[in-house]
Amino acid sequence: MLTGLRVSHAPHIGHGLSIRRVMLDVVIGLIPAMVAALVLFRHRAALVILVSVGSGLATELACNLLRGRGRPWESLGDLSAVVTGIILAFSLPPALPLWAVAIGAVFAIAIGKVVFGGLGANIFNPAMVGRSFLTACFGTLMTTWTVPATLDPNMPTVSPAVAVDARTQATPLAWAKQAWKARSDPQQAGQLKDKVTVHIRRSLLGEKAGCLGETGSLWLILGGIYLLLRRTITIHIPAAVLASAFVFSGLVYLFHPAGAINPFVHLCSGGLLLGAFFIATDPVTAPITTKGRWLFGAGVGGLTILIRVFGEYPEGVMYAVLLMNAVSPLIDRLCRAVPLGGRPSV
Amino acid sequence: MEVAINKGRFSFRGGVHPADRKELAQDQAILPGPIPSQLVVPLSQHIGQVCRPLVKKGQLVQQGELIADQDAYVSAPVHAPMAGKVKEVSLQPHPVLGRCMAVVIEVDQNSVGQADQPQLPADLDLAKYQPEKIRQDVRNAGLVGMGGAGFPTHVKLDPNPNRPHDTLIVNGCECEPYITCDYRLMVERPLKVVVGALLAAKAWGSRQIYIAIEDNKPKAIQSISNAIRAIGVEGRIEVAVLPTRYPQGGERQLIRAVTGRIVPTGGIPPMIGVLVLNVATASAIADAVVWSRPLTHRIVTVTGSAVARPANLEVPIGTPVGQLIDHCSLKHAAARVVLGGPMMGIAIADPNTPIIKTTNAIVVLGDHELRMGQQGPCIRCGRCVDACPEGLNPSLLARTVQQYAWDLAKDNFITACIECGCCSYVCPAGIELAGYIKTGKAFLARQTSKKT
Repeated sequence: MLTGLRVSHAPHIGHGLSIRRVMLDVVIGLIPAMVAALVLFRHRAALVILVSVGSGLATELACNLLRGRGRPWESLGDLSAVVTGIILAFSLPPALPLWAVAIGAVFAIAIGKVVFGGLGANIFNPAMVGRSFLTACFGTLMTTWTVPATLDPNMPTVSPAVAVDARTQATPLAWAKQAWKARSDPQQAGQLKDKVTVHIRRSLLGEKAGCLGETGSLWLILGGIYLLLRRTITIHIPAAVLASAFVFSGLVYLFHPAGAINPFVHLCSGGLLLGAFFIATDPVTAPITTKGRWLFGAGVGGLTILIRVFGEYPEGVMYAVLLMNAVSPLIDRLCRAVPLGGRPSV
Repeated sequence: MEVAINKGRFSFRGGVHPADRKELAQDQAILPGPIPSQLVVPLSQHIGQVCRPLVKKGQLVQQGELIADQDAYVSAPVHAPMAGKVKEVSLQPHPVLGRCMAVVIEVDQNSVGQADQPQLPADLDLAKYQPEKIRQDVRNAGLVGMGGAGFPTHVKLDPNPNRPHDTLIVNGCECEPYITCDYRLMVERPLKVVVGALLAAKAWGSRQIYIAIEDNKPKAIQSISNAIRAIGVEGRIEVAVLPTRYPQGGERQLIRAVTGRIVPTGGIPPMIGVLVLNVATASAIADAVVWSRPLTHRIVTVTGSAVARPANLEVPIGTPVGQLIDHCSLKHAAARVVLGGPMMGIAIADPNTPIIKTTNAIVVLGDHELRMGQQGPCIRCGRCVDACPEGLNPSLLARTVQQYAWDLAKDNFITACIECGCCSYVCPAGIELAGYIKTGKAFLARQTSKKT
């Protein structure tokens, strides 16, 4: 019975964790927000998610075939394309036409991931690459928001082509932007800010206009806690993102109380929570060192607020993540590990 | 006076918690192993110069007779584990080196007398053993570090007058999964361990002695504490009870956890006044000094899910691994035979490989226990960075080796790797991180030795 022994490097046993399991955990973490999206936006949510995931998977398969890979379906099993697809769908307006969703997913997988060499080699978060492409190409579609079906039962029939003001709605952050621009006129700014405050009360459960999966703060936090408990993500990035966003928006609020909105409102509006727990924590595009993760998260949070307050866009998570992705190799270099015993003297 | 129990004042970073699987063999008392028909005794079972054989083909040897030696300081002599006739001196399989010159002895089945285990008297007079004499006896007995590295013990016990030497740590952590030989030794022969520790401390000149044991071995802690009390050295020896975590028994991690001191990168423990000896080495020191018995036998744990009757066997050095596995029977097909623990042990392909002085266990693993064989892409999740007890970036180091970027490897302290394997253990992509790093270290070491 001692024949055909195989040898290999130590260690001979493993923890048993696989990439597939890591990605599956992210999908599980996204489920609460997904259920909320299905309640809020009904079949629109289902369609957008299905099209996004489906075209992402199809793109990866097609790319593998083009690259002449043996067993081209194999890389689909790691579920990373599914995660990208869901996160992309979560960051899109519910009323976005499905052909645009498909374009975004194809771009996310093909240009965001495969051209760099596939999973693990991409510099930028693929879902954010896809979303930024859509923002650049279809600006109006990407900023047309529908009222959740729980507030207006007619929601599902709304399409951007027939959009009327009664059925579409600006996001709280868009009002916040207007308030900031009107900060010289305290009365107008105050009215706009009141509108933000009214809507922000609903943001716990997600009953406000916004991207598909980012409106319900509670569901995102639940999913984030699951990821933390499963140790799929570490606390560093989410904590740094939220803390730095809070500090920066707090500073703005301190100096311009008339025009700026409350820092707590910043935390639970837009894509900040989705970004903090699910987008900025994408391990491939974030630094690998602990110190680097603190810096990276702080950068994402700070840039988000910078864009939201002083930039032309009302929301900044996407560009903040992409910009920090670009510098994450530099951050890792800066935070290079020093061995426990200190630098060797020779 | 109560034995001082020092509960891990300090800790080390990183590490992992593999299932310890010690339940397989931990309750098996130490038994004599099967009597082999032939022993393969390698001339190199230690770090340092290879010994020269002192016997010829056809020559009869007695048990404990010196069969190979070497004048070099860093070296350890080799003795005949059993009486018999030298069949040949030839290249034979070796668990660490692959192939090595070895003395092959045909065991004389008539004069087989299993090594008896004389009990140490608790009132042993240690004052009569002088440091110089202890070191000489240790060298003559061919003692090497029995925890795995195999560094000649007499070299370690030689104090450097320019350095402090205040703390001796006897390592009974046995943090590797499956292995129980040190545990059984501490439970069954604690007096030897304690006496060996006292002798080593005397030879090296240290005042404080710690015996470090992980907290998953309460019986060993009890047994060692009783022995310390029996000899009446409560004031000199402390039992350091450490949390169970791999690699708690790693020299650098152990020193950090027990004393709070950090061994400098690229340095050795005596630089900070600490000496670490394995419990099996301490016990062998007692044998060597009190009875002048050379190191001819050692305790080996034969275990693993594929083994029908796991055991802790005291076997002559040179016994073929295959024979010990046969002795304990297999339940199902063995996928891998590992000498040492599953985290750092070496997988062998040839069942004729002999047990050497440093072989503490034979772990026979079934297919289902093995780490996945396929390597996926690194997703930079950072689990390896978090697990590394030396604070390195294994993912980066493995990449530098893959790309032959040796300068980058050195810049990121590849030589500081202790090869504990935590990185490969946690990697969700199944990347052979430790394997790559070891390969890179070996390459760099060869490069350096070529230059000088």
